[in-house]
Parts: sequence; structure tokens; C-alpha cells
Amino acid sequence: MIRARELVKQYRDGDGTEVRVLDGLSLDVEDGEFVAVVGPSGSGKSTLLHVLGGLDVHYQGEVEVAGVKLSGLKDKALARFRNQHVGFVFQSFHLIPNLSAVENVLMPSHFGPLTADVRKRAEALLDRVGLLSKKDRTPVRLSGGERQRVAIARALFTGPRVLLCDEPTGNLDAATGAGVISLFQELHREGLTLLAVTHEERMSAVAKRVLRLKEGRLVEESRPALAGGVS
Amino acid sequence: MRLVALSRLVRLSLARERRGAFFSIFGVAMGVGALVFFLGLGLGVGRVIRERIFPTDAKLVDVVPPSVSLGSFLGGGKLDAVMVERLGALPDVEKVYRKMSVRAPAASRYDGDFFGRRLRMGVDVLAVGVEPGLVEGDVEPGSFVDPAPGEPIPGIVSTRLLEIYNSTFAPARKLPRLGPGMIVGFTFPVDFNRSYVAAPVAGPVIQSHVQVVGASERGLLAGVTIPLETAIRLNRELGQDTETYSGVTLVATSPAAVPALVAAVKDMGLEIDDQERRLAENVGAAVALTTSALALLSILICVLAAVNIAHALSASVRARAREIGVMQAVGASRADVRNIVLAEAAVVGVLGGLAGTVAALLLALAVDRLATGYLPQFPFKPESFFSFPWAVVVGGVALGLLAALAGAWFPSHRAAATDPARTLAG
Repeated sequence: MIRARELVKQYRDGDGTEVRVLDGLSLDVEDGEFVAVVGPSGSGKSTLLHVLGGLDVHYQGEVEVAGVKLSGLKDKALARFRNQHVGFVFQSFHLIPNLSAVENVLMPSHFGPLTADVRKRAEALLDRVGLLSKKDRTPVRLSGGERQRVAIARALFTGPRVLLCDEPTGNLDAATGAGVISLFQELHREGLTLLAVTHEERMSAVAKRVLRLKEGRLVEESRPALAGGVS
Repeated sequence: MRLVALSRLVRLSLARERRGAFFSIFGVAMGVGALVFFLGLGLGVGRVIRERIFPTDAKLVDVVPPSVSLGSFLGGGKLDAVMVERLGALPDVEKVYRKMSVRAPAASRYDGDFFGRRLRMGVDVLAVGVEPGLVEGDVEPGSFVDPAPGEPIPGIVSTRLLEIYNSTFAPARKLPRLGPGMIVGFTFPVDFNRSYVAAPVAGPVIQSHVQVVGASERGLLAGVTIPLETAIRLNRELGQDTETYSGVTLVATSPAAVPALVAAVKDMGLEIDDQERRLAENVGAAVALTTSALALLSILICVLAAVNIAHALSASVRARAREIGVMQAVGASRADVRNIVLAEAAVVGVLGGLAGTVAALLLALAVDRLATGYLPQFPFKPESFFSFPWAVVVGGVALGLLAALAGAWFPSHRAAATDPARTLAG
């Protein structure tokens, strides 16, 4: 499902020093797998997620996600890939403030081929995350956990096979975070492939596999005891 | 990206940036409105000059004998029947109309009823004879011919003379204003070879009456136009030259043929009476120059509006960087992002262009109303000082669109270059 080979990403910082964010990193994620990526700040976790999701194109190496080879894809094809094959969930939710919950969920429909019953689909997804009754609320009138659920519904809108999550519980309290983790587990059970960058131990505990990054390299791989279990 | 989706995103964005959008629309409207207004004014005034003050038919060429001529010695420059025949044989000449002045002074002494008012006045009159075909569109068929003995001479007055009478003479003397139809049938006495100011020629005084049969742009401005045969007969009775013509009007096959025709006529030792055409061109050029200066000023306002849009959109793009990143994350390409910003500007431009154009049309209407109500009557005062051909109206809206798109060009490219990985990090 996800295959990355010899990923290298580097840049020069303000002092002109060369910084390697990804340093020859390779990984494989199976279809339907739930993988947590952990590691200290600056280890390249988020960068890896952006590269795998086609948001960052300035790297060396090869990436294949959901059968699409990303290296060398033109912008339009890359945009289509992001719309059709992956969904993003961010730590800061990144909802558009002046749009209602349902309009935020509908956002991918503006850039994709889906035209029929898009609103029904968005409402069904909000129902799935337990927010149908709040579909007309703008993000400012939703709690943190609710915002993240709206963001998850948005990520699922086009029916992607891969969900890429960047610290999805990072801005949530423990109880709310647990609810979000539970939702991810459900999605995993339904066959969705999840790759989640996290500092949250409970998240890595429920993942099937945990990859530890350090200085842009994969330094450790483990399989938690709770993998696939219910928190 | 589908048009429906694009329009929805643009609507949402403009609704959020209402204040900025309003000022951008206002800026475009100011520039476009000023441009449409001044162009309309220039075109309107130009139309009055062309059509009413100096009406010129682009196909007509007025030929006159040279003021200084060696023609009598060298066989050229004399406008007689032979020369008229030669003129008629020139390429691209469709018709030839001869003219002959009555070569003696004439005076009219009127004492009687003048459209319900008593009028008593004496005035010298110039008379020129023209072939009926030249004015056939302005008179009843068969009414403009040499009359039988004892019958009044049919005469045509200039529409411009009528305009001057109506706007200055009539109000000053408290006389009624007259339309071209009203004066048909009015008869006044004219004594040929009599004058209040000039010496008469040797010969009899011919007492007659002139009956107005119509008004024409082609009529003599300061005098009366009579049938050519009548003018020839009067000159014969007065013992004056009846062999040479005072002018010939040539009708070219097309306006494009006129320059070559003019050159050919000059080669024949004759001159062109283009005084009015030149005057019309000079006044028209002055109006065009003024209009161009004002239009340039208006375009400058449009440029400033474009700069304002660029500034507003740049700020908006900066503020919306994260939102643009989200759009990219859910499937927007760089072209989609660029198109969203350009479409926002296009809406602003079209709305501004429409608002400016409508404002200009309303302002022109108000100016016309004020002019009708408050400006005193003057010769050739038009019903409207403005002319708005569809090209100006559509062009106004198009200019608004163009200014807005020009202003949005760099911000749209800047937005398209947003790095989603950077804006969505953290």
C-alpha cells in the first residue's frame, strides 16, 4: 500500500548549514495496516507524512502510495492523488473558519470528480463521527474533539484508502483524544490503512506497528501488545 | 475544477472579505465610470459637430473654380458644361450636381404676418441654384422646379439656418420657433438686383416671391437655395453669365474613392471647397484630443484600482495561506488555486465595471436633464450631450474585468506557489 525507498530531504538553514530531515529512509506499509510513527521533534515524522501524502515534492527517492508512483508526478496528477487516494488529519484540524461543519467536509468535492449526492455523503460522514446534529455549526462553535471529528470526516469524504494523520490527538485532552483514537481503530477495522505520526502513547499502543524515527532515519520497529485491540 | 465549485468558493471568499471587496469594486467602478462618462461625452459632442453643426457627407466632393486661374489662357479651371462633362467622366463619380449663384444682389422686404406675429424687416438675400437631385430627399417630388411665369420660386432653407433662427433670433425677437415642416409654404418677397448694402448690376430689378418647399442640410447656410434652371433664367434676364457654374457637387461611389477623386479634380485646375469639412475635422480633433486626455486620466484611475486589487488580494492570500494549504491537501492543484484568486478578481472587476458603467449612464442622464432644464437655448443644443454605443458600454465592463485580472495576476501566482507542507506544519 505504501512503499518508500531511500527518501532523502535536505535543506540549508539560516546559517547555511545543510540539514537532512530524511536521510535515506525506506519503509513499507501493508494494505489495511495501522502504523504509528514516533520519534523526537525534528526527527522527520511530519516531513515523512507530507512526502507520502504528496504535499511535499522536494525530496529524493521513490514513493508509491495506493498504487500511484508519486516521484515525478505533475502538479495536477499529484492534486488528483491527494483528492482520491489519501486523507489528511492534522493536529490543528485546519478547518476553514467561516464554513459550517458540513461545508468543511464538502471541501474535497470542489476539486474532485464527485458531483452527485455530495451533501448527503457529507452528512452521512458527519453522522458517522457523531456530529450530524451540529452540521451547520462553524468550527468556532465546536469543541476541539468535535473539530477533529469534522476534519476526519473531511479526510474520508472521497473514500481514500490511506489516512495520514499528523499528531491527531496533539491538541486534545485525554478523554477527547481517546474518542478520536477509538474512531481510528474503527476505521482500521473497516480496512483503512492508517499512518499516524504521534507522541501519544495510547495511539502507538493500539497501532499494529510502531516505527521510530531519529534524525531522518528509521531506527526501530516494534509491534505493541495491544495492536489491533480496543483501548 | 468545475465552474459550480469555483463559483461557490469565490462566493464564500468574497462574503468573508466583504469590506476589501467593496473597496476594490468601488475603485474599479470609479475608473470605469469616469472612462465611460468621458467617452460618452466626447462621442456625443463629436456626433453633434458631425451631424448637426458641420454635417458632411463623406461621399460628396464640392468642386469650385480656382480663385486665381490661368484657365482662360490655358484651357483649364473654368467650370463650364465641358468641364462638368469631364468631371462626370472621372472614375468613381456616381453623380454630378451643378450649382449656379444668382449673379446679382437680392433683397427681401417683409411686412406681414409671420406665423401669428407681425414681422417687418428687410434683409439682403443670397441665392444659389442647385439641381433638384441634390436635395430630392428633403422636398416633395416635383415641388423643386423652375416655376411658371407669375408663380413663386420654390426655395429651400438650410436646416442649420433654421436652428440658428430658433435658438437665437426667435427668442430675441419673441418670434415663434419653427420646425422644418412648419415653414413649408411660407412665402416672402425677393427683389433680384436690389440690395441694402451692395451696388446692383446693370439690368432690371426682378420682383418675385420665394415659397419655401423644404429644409435641407445641403441648402445654402446664409441664403436661399432655388432650382438651377431658375438661377440660370434669372441670370439670363439680368444679363449675367449663364455659361459657367459657381460650383459642382460630385458624388463618389464610396468614401474611400474620395481622396483619388479630389486629386484628379485638382489636376484639372479646379479647387475643392472643403472649408466646412476641415472645420469639422479640426473641431472634431479638438474634441477627440480632450476626450483622449480625460480617457487617459480615467485609465489611470483603473490602473490605480488594479494596484489596489493587487494590494488587497496579496494581503488576502497571505492571510489565507493555511486555507490554501488545506485546499491543496484535499485536492486543489496550483492551477485551481490560481483560478480561485483570478475568479475572485474577475467578479470584483465585472461588478465594478457594471457599477461604473451604470453610474456613468445615470450621471449622463442627470447631466442631460440639468442641461435641458437650466442651460439656455443655444444653436445646435442637442437633446443629449452623450452617445453610448454598445462598444463603450461593453468595453467599460471589459475594462473593469481587465483591470481586476491584471491586479490579481501576481497575487494569484503567489497563492498558487503556496507550499502546503510548510503552511500546514505544526
